[in-house]
Amino acid sequence: MLGTVNRILLAVAGTVLLAAGIVVLTGAWPLHGRRAPLLSEATRSRYWHADGWWWWAVVAGLAVGVLLALWWLLSQLRRSRLGAVVVDTGDGAFALLRGRALEAAVAAEAGAVEGVAGCRVALRGRRGSPALRVALELEPHAVPADALAAVAGPVLTHARTSAGLPELPAEARLKVTSHRSQRVT
Amino acid sequence: MTARRSGRVHRFRSARRIPAALTALVVLGVAGLFLYDLAAVRAGRPGMSWRRDLADGLATHTPADLGVQLIAGAAALAGAVLLLLALAPGLRGILPMRPPDGPYGPDGPDTAARVRAGLGRKDAAQILRDRAMEVSGVRSVRVKVRRSHVGVRATSHFRELDDVRADLDAVLAVGIEELGLAHPPQPRVRVRR
Repeated sequence: MLGTVNRILLAVAGTVLLAAGIVVLTGAWPLHGRRAPLLSEATRSRYWHADGWWWWAVVAGLAVGVLLALWWLLSQLRRSRLGAVVVDTGDGAFALLRGRALEAAVAAEAGAVEGVAGCRVALRGRRGSPALRVALELEPHAVPADALAAVAGPVLTHARTSAGLPELPAEARLKVTSHRSQRVT
Repeated sequence: MTARRSGRVHRFRSARRIPAALTALVVLGVAGLFLYDLAAVRAGRPGMSWRRDLADGLATHTPADLGVQLIAGAAALAGAVLLLLALAPGLRGILPMRPPDGPYGPDGPDTAARVRAGLGRKDAAQILRDRAMEVSGVRSVRVKVRRSHVGVRATSHFRELDDVRADLDAVLAVGIEELGLAHPPQPRVRVRR
C-alpha cells in the first residue's frame, strides 16, 4: 500500500522534473526559444501579479502542497506495526489480542523448528486483516525449503487458528548464519 | 524472467521509503519557503531578497546559458533517477522462494500457502559453497548467485577434474533444489587446478 503510493508519487515527481529539465534544455514550449529569457518581465507581470483571487489560489495550492508533503513524509517515518488483533470469540463478543504476544508466540514456535537459529516476527497490516513478517535466520547446515515448509505449515497455521483469523498472510525472509568456508575431509 | 513453475510468485518490491522521504522533504521545503514568503509579503513585510534575485535571474538568463543548461540537465537527471526508482522493483538481493506445500496451482483457502518467502542471494551462495566444499577434491570454491544462473569456480588439488566436475554438478543440482527457489538458477561450473 505505502509502496504503491510512494512509487506513484515518485513517478509523478520524476516525470515533472524530467519534463522541466528537457523543456529548459531545448527551449521548447512554453518557453520562447533558446535565445529568449526564461521568464520575461512582461510575462511575469501579466500572469504572476500577487493580488486578487490569484493570490489566494497560489497560497491555497502551496498550503495543500505543504500538507500533502508533510503527510507523505510522516507516513514514511511511521512504523506500520500493529498493536492488537481483534479476535472473534464466537459468542458475539470480541477480544483484543496484543500484537506483541502474538509476535512472541510465533517467534518462539518458529525458533524451535529444526535448523532455525533465530527468528524475529512483526505483526503488520490492519486490525481486520493482519499480516505477519517473519525474518528467519537459518543455521548453516539447514535446508531452506524444509525450514520454510516447517514454519509455513504448522507454525503459521497454529498462529492463525489460535488467533481465530480466517487468514493470516505472511512474508518470510530467510538468512543464513554466516561463517567461514572450511574443508571437511 | 517470467515465472517458469508458478505464475503466482512475484519478485520482492521495495517500498522506496528513503527516496520518498527525501522527495517529500524537498517538496515540503520548497513549498513551505514560498508559502512563508507569500504570507510575509501579504502581511506587509518586505519579501525575501532571493525572490527578487530569482525573478531577475529568470528575466535575464536564456536557455542557452551554461548555468541554466547545467541546472536543467541536473533536474532532468534527477527526474530520470526518480522514474527509475519508481519503476524498478528493487530488493535485488532477495530471491523469491516458491510457496511451500507442493501444488503450484491456485492456493486453497486453508492451506499454508499464503506465505511469500525470499532467500538472500548471499545466503544462497553460502549454502551452495558449503555443499561444494564437501565434494572431495575441492580445495576452494567461489559461488556467485545471480537470478538466472549460479557461477561456481572451484579449484581442485587432487582427483581428475572431470570427476570433480561431475560430482560438483550432482551436488549443486541437489543443493539448488533444496534452496526452494521459485525460479531455480542454472549452475555453471568451472573447475581448475
